[in-house]
Amino acid sequence: MRFRLVRYFTVASLGVFGLVAGSLVYFEHQQGESFKQMKEEQSAFFGEVQQGFAERQDASARRDLLAIHEAGNVNLTRLFANALWSSDFQPFVARAQAIDVHQCRAMPDVPDASGRMTPPPEKKACFSEVGRQIMAIPGFAELDAKVYDAMKKSTVFKIKVFDLRGITIYSSEHAQIGEDKMTNAGWRGAALDGVAQSELTHRDTFSAFEGVVEDRDLISSYLPVLEPGSAKIVGVFEVYSDVTPFLQQIEATSAQIREVAEANQRRVEAAGVAGLAAIDEASNRQLAVVGGLLALLFVALLLIVRRADRIIVEQERDREHTHQQLTQSEKMASLGQMVAGVAHQLNTPLAFSQNNVLMVKDALQSMQYPMKVATRMSEILRDVDGDHVTLKVVRLKQNLDQLENGSVDVSMLQEMLTDVLDGINQMSELVVNLRDFTRLDRASTTRADLNKSLRTVAYIAKTVISKDIQVAEELTELPAVECNVSQLNQVFLNLINNAAQAIDGAGRIVVRTETDGNTVRVSVADTGKGIPKDVLPHIFDLYYTTKPAGEGTGLGLAIARDIVREHGGDIEVRTEVGVGTTFTVVLPACEAQTLPLAA
Amino acid sequence: MKKNGRILCVDDEPNIVRSLQWLLQREFEVHTASDGQAALALVGANDFDVVISDQRMPVMSGVELLREVRRLSPRTMRILLTGYSDMQAVVRSVNESEVFRFINKPWNISELPKIVAQAVKIARTQPAQAPIEEDGEMAAALADEASILVLDDNPGMAEAVTEAVGNGAKVAYTGNLAEAVGILNNEPISVIVSETRVGSIDATRLVRLMKSRHPEIVTIMLSDESDFETVTTLINQGQIYRFVPKPVRPGYLKLIVASALRKHVSLKQEPGLAGRHEVEATPAAVAASLVSDVQSVASQVAARNPGLAAGFLGSIGAGLRRLFGATAH
Repeated sequence: MRFRLVRYFTVASLGVFGLVAGSLVYFEHQQGESFKQMKEEQSAFFGEVQQGFAERQDASARRDLLAIHEAGNVNLTRLFANALWSSDFQPFVARAQAIDVHQCRAMPDVPDASGRMTPPPEKKACFSEVGRQIMAIPGFAELDAKVYDAMKKSTVFKIKVFDLRGITIYSSEHAQIGEDKMTNAGWRGAALDGVAQSELTHRDTFSAFEGVVEDRDLISSYLPVLEPGSAKIVGVFEVYSDVTPFLQQIEATSAQIREVAEANQRRVEAAGVAGLAAIDEASNRQLAVVGGLLALLFVALLLIVRRADRIIVEQERDREHTHQQLTQSEKMASLGQMVAGVAHQLNTPLAFSQNNVLMVKDALQSMQYPMKVATRMSEILRDVDGDHVTLKVVRLKQNLDQLENGSVDVSMLQEMLTDVLDGINQMSELVVNLRDFTRLDRASTTRADLNKSLRTVAYIAKTVISKDIQVAEELTELPAVECNVSQLNQVFLNLINNAAQAIDGAGRIVVRTETDGNTVRVSVADTGKGIPKDVLPHIFDLYYTTKPAGEGTGLGLAIARDIVREHGGDIEVRTEVGVGTTFTVVLPACEAQTLPLAA
Repeated sequence: MKKNGRILCVDDEPNIVRSLQWLLQREFEVHTASDGQAALALVGANDFDVVISDQRMPVMSGVELLREVRRLSPRTMRILLTGYSDMQAVVRSVNESEVFRFINKPWNISELPKIVAQAVKIARTQPAQAPIEEDGEMAAALADEASILVLDDNPGMAEAVTEAVGNGAKVAYTGNLAEAVGILNNEPISVIVSETRVGSIDATRLVRLMKSRHPEIVTIMLSDESDFETVTTLINQGQIYRFVPKPVRPGYLKLIVASALRKHVSLKQEPGLAGRHEVEATPAAVAASLVSDVQSVASQVAARNPGLAAGFLGSIGAGLRRLFGATAH
């Protein structure tokens, strides 16, 4: 199969370029993805940090707020206690302490809907009754008025006072007086541990000193009341102070921070997206450039390969052309050699035949006068009746030399003409052999008797080769061979010529044929100088020759082998330096031809 | 009828030998042989005037046979007959066999007997000379007289010849035919060493005509490329002494130039010897074409060197007249 350079190159390089481009795209994509992921992670992290920061800021503001207000409430309570405890609350508390709450406390709590233990309404009512008894204590109204005055126009919305039993003995919201706070964690912390407890709560509605307020943020603090001048806890205050404006400020700040954080986040995300887009674009551009370069490389390589292919084809054509020319010149050379040989061969019979014919012609010319005389004599003799004739020989004597010249030996003339016939036979033999050799009048392949061919070839060869070389034929009967006779003749002539050239001086060439029924073997053996070992492997190589430049083309044996192989045969060679060489052409015999022979 | 000559015809083709015998037996005593050995045996036993031999024969070629004949019987004239354009054979027939004529087959039946008759006459009337030994020794005695004309496009050939002869002879060189004519006219030349073509003009004509007018001049032809026809003509019409295909090895050049000089000496001392080298007449048309070529070369040379124009052309004209007689005008 022919090697299609351009096609194979195109397919292979396009395939590889495709793979390269594909893997580049894949890796670029991978890189883009991981970059994107990294960006997203970064962005998420950044978001979290911002978020956390905002949240922490909010929480710390609230904590600060609580702490500040608690401290404020503590001071407030101190002031309040210092101002009112000894004068107003201590006696009132002492009296309220006298009211028994045991029967109310003894009432069990019940679980509410959510399962928490809450005091039942009768218990609440019981404590409300306690409250009513407390409010009924004289001086309550004055105390209440004092508290109201003290707290009026402040941020304190409500004040409660608990005794050490946990009973609400005063509340600016009167309905809450008498309530039991013993289980309340804030009260317990302040009353039992002396620790102020504060919490930030939101109330949708709240009963403040100056009426009910709505939607307020409040800080409630349970504060231990210390007996002035000592560290003895004597009661617990609960103070509700309004922090709504602070909290609003905090929330506003937090919102602002969140907004900034979100804006930052958005910016980061946008930057990330822009970055990704830029990277994508860059990588696309990169891919496009690499793809373009690959395409350029492919086109350049394709051009080079196509040019190379054209050059190869041209060289092949040139080589083919040169080969044909050389083959032709080899043919012409061997033809020329053959023509020279034939011309010489023709020259010999031509020379003696011409010589003899011209001599016979001259002889006939010289016989003309004697013949005329003889004819005249015969006429005279016919007309004479007697036995004697008298001739006047004066004129004949004058022409005696002509008569003498005409006394030609006729048998010699006959011999001459016999030689001429011999010459003509030689020439026609040559013509027949020439015709048989070329076989131009035959179809290109035919069933042929190779013995006949070899006789012709040997005859032709003998005209060329030295007379010191004897050419012997040892031919055995052969089956027919399907062949191009003219071509095989060329092969045999080449082998015999080679054999002759291998012989210096005198020698012998034997042309032998053998057969085993299936193959025909034609061997040409010479007593020449043989083929040296280093030459032997090359004898069938194209253009290999041991002859001086200009004398041999090195094609003879190469062509001979080509011809024999085209006939389905082969050439074998056996050689011994100094002894001689035998070339054997082995050809397949015609099977069909052997059948009638066998029948 | 008296047979005036004993001749030997040799050819391995019996028909050829018979034909030659029929053709020649009327005038000559014809002997025949079918191979070289038989021929040599006959030459040893008989005194032949002429031996005619075919070139292409088994065992011993015609050239080899005639070389032996020349050795065995120097007075016998040798004619080579061939039907094959074998360049090597014709060169060897000059150099080894020194044949009188080289005749192609088929021969001319009216010419061949005349050539044989001429050869017989020469063999019988002209003294024979023992073959000149090619030993390369220059004869000192002739040093002052001998001069060699080298006619070649390449001056290197003159140098080679000068080197070969040493002090043995003067060497004149020219690369054109007109100058050659001038030199030949002005000084006695012993040996001409010439290329077959000089300045793309056929120089063999000059050599042939010189030999026909001045048989004592010995000619050596050196050639780059030559054909069978040219050499045959040089033998028959120029009786050249040697024909050497170029390149020539210096040793061989020395050998043949020395032997040519001695040949010239012997031809001069005994003018009768030259008769053995009688040439076939060069056709008048060839002489005329040579004269016109020489004149055109002379006018070209004159045109290049105006200074010597008048005298030079005049001397060439005179030279042509003197050298070739009536053919010049």
